Amino acid sequence: MSHSATTRVQEHIGDPVSDTPPVGREKLEEIFQDIQADLRFDHELNGCLNCGICTATCPAAHYYDFSPREIVQLLWTENLEGIYDAMQEKIWSCAQCYTCAARCPFDNSPGGLVMLMRETAIKHGMESAKSVLRPFSRVMLKLISTGNQLSPDMITPDGFADWGPNVSKIDAPLATLRKAIPMPTLHTTKTAWEVNLKTSVELYTIWEETGVLDSLEIIDENLFDVISDIMDEKRDDYEDWLDEQDQD
Amino acid sequence: MTTGNGNGSERFTGHGAEWTDAKLSKEDAHVATVWVDQIINRRSMLTNKDRVEDVRDVMWQLEKDGEIVVHRVQDEHEAVMVKTLYGWDKKIPTTQLWHHKSCGQCGNIPGYPASLLWLMNQMDIRYLDETDQTSCTAWNYHGSGIGNLESLAAVFLRNFHQAYVSAKAQGLPEGYYYPLVHCGTSFGNYKEVRGYLLQSAKLRERVRKILGKLGRLVDGKLLIPEEVVHYSEWLHVMRNEIKKHQVIDCDHIRATVHPACHVYKMVPEDAIYDDDILEGNRVAVTTGLLETLGTQVIDYSTWYDCCGFGFRHIISEREFTRSFAIDRKIRVAIEEARADMMIGHDTGCITTLDKNQWIGAAAGKPVDLPILADCQFAALVCGAHPYKIVQSHWHASSTETLMEKLGIDWEKKKAEFEEYLKEVEAGRGETLYDPRKMITSGPGFKPQGQLSKGT
Repeated sequence: MSHSATTRVQEHIGDPVSDTPPVGREKLEEIFQDIQADLRFDHELNGCLNCGICTATCPAAHYYDFSPREIVQLLWTENLEGIYDAMQEKIWSCAQCYTCAARCPFDNSPGGLVMLMRETAIKHGMESAKSVLRPFSRVMLKLISTGNQLSPDMITPDGFADWGPNVSKIDAPLATLRKAIPMPTLHTTKTAWEVNLKTSVELYTIWEETGVLDSLEIIDENLFDVISDIMDEKRDDYEDWLDEQDQD
Repeated sequence: MTTGNGNGSERFTGHGAEWTDAKLSKEDAHVATVWVDQIINRRSMLTNKDRVEDVRDVMWQLEKDGEIVVHRVQDEHEAVMVKTLYGWDKKIPTTQLWHHKSCGQCGNIPGYPASLLWLMNQMDIRYLDETDQTSCTAWNYHGSGIGNLESLAAVFLRNFHQAYVSAKAQGLPEGYYYPLVHCGTSFGNYKEVRGYLLQSAKLRERVRKILGKLGRLVDGKLLIPEEVVHYSEWLHVMRNEIKKHQVIDCDHIRATVHPACHVYKMVPEDAIYDDDILEGNRVAVTTGLLETLGTQVIDYSTWYDCCGFGFRHIISEREFTRSFAIDRKIRVAIEEARADMMIGHDTGCITTLDKNQWIGAAAGKPVDLPILADCQFAALVCGAHPYKIVQSHWHASSTETLMEKLGIDWEKKKAEFEEYLKEVEAGRGETLYDPRKMITSGPGFKPQGQLSKGT
């Protein structure tokens, strides 16, 4: 049986007995500054006495090597190596329930801080972010291209075998079942509701103007290409419609 | 040190050599720790904060300074006043509502919004369900980190601006419809983002440029809603009206409530509390409705826990989601509360708790608990068709068991629905409102003039 030559800590942080860690101080500072630069940072972090209420109440702490208290402490003490290490895996455990934030006597939001760290992990193209988000790409494709995150055709017995045979208890074509919903906006299978073409085009402007597409390109270039094509197509359709209005 | 466990084997406590077991009896141990229960899970856990600010004060000042325009809850919206966590007032509009749909509900649990609209029809509530809206995008954000404060803020302001202008398509004035948010994730996200927008001039300036490009400013200014309102809050203030339409008795039903984290833990100061509902220790929405309808709402020890949804976890870390849902919620509701059902008020929670029961049997831990949203249960006991309206066939949990306890012949209703599908295929499906209303501009829009009151 073979064993990996390096441990996770050695791979991401460096050999603890070596004088030259692979991640330089400059890079660690850059990452921390990006987290700190978000205008939410001071709102989400106010101090910490290590009381541990956040971890005691955290659902992710039941199942993962994850502690919101540790996240707060790392940021509060500006432990740059520890912050970088937590961004390799731990921050992706958080279930984003914000129980920690509701209960913290200091009004910290460990869940909110995790989001700043996730955004920064993506900005820096960390491998952790790329691998964690790979199975989530279908949701990202749906959301960015249509404005809906979940659609009826995504919920299939094959895709969710662990949900059992009762994903739909009536044996009929999906399109028929959708038309049997008494809300006309919901007679769709590829999106959760019918989204106006004009609405989608407005959303694309938001993605572009706020740098969301740049983040996507960093994390998954192929997905970015697919979404860009869809966006171009829909924009062309909308332009055609506008031209038709002018002619009328 | 090591200590015996009474079975002759040893175990490690990890407390160090100086630690000794107090050897308390079970009863004495309970007495020694009961104070924890008196603090944990109580409203005081949320109110023991030093820094509390009502951002609406900032909002009114910004409007006075000419920085923003506030979309007000007007007299015509027939608002009902409620009290929030700190006893502050919140206005809940009850009519002329713009439905801000939830992608998870519409995609996966369509009986959720359909039941809400059906209830509104019973009470002659004016509303609009239209196609010019996106999801809040916050499910993806919390799951992936793709997105940022600016994108969330721009999406929020775009959707709420559309709610503000939507009535023009019907020849009605701006502000006629007030947005009613269906999804708990959207509700929490929008309130959080509204707070940041009100606090940060820099964020407002950046987003103003984007909204300007979209033509989504009012007099060159950002439009901010006076209140961000969740549909469960509408149900709460309408609960006595809903009760008047009840046709099925449910006094014998033992109900557990799963409150949604993003409804009351995010921006907790805006959640509704009522001293008459579970002594004011639990968020009042849903519990108040169920008590009004007559069910026995049973408190339980993991009431405060999340459902295990986790945003990304339900897709790609499913072992966490199903383990948490079964062990911390479903099993506790069944064994501790002896519940007949669990009722929620958010998209992800209903999906998680409903879909993750079947897998328990595979692990030798079968569980069986009907899961519905509050509006679905209310519609059911008000006589809505369990399949045409409540759309219970999309639920994996045993909603049939609950229907039997309510005296509903679900097999007959299911057969009716299967017959109805033939009508649907022939293009004769029934709808809750005039479909012409659903497109208010852009491709497909046909001016309708002023449409009549009602749905």
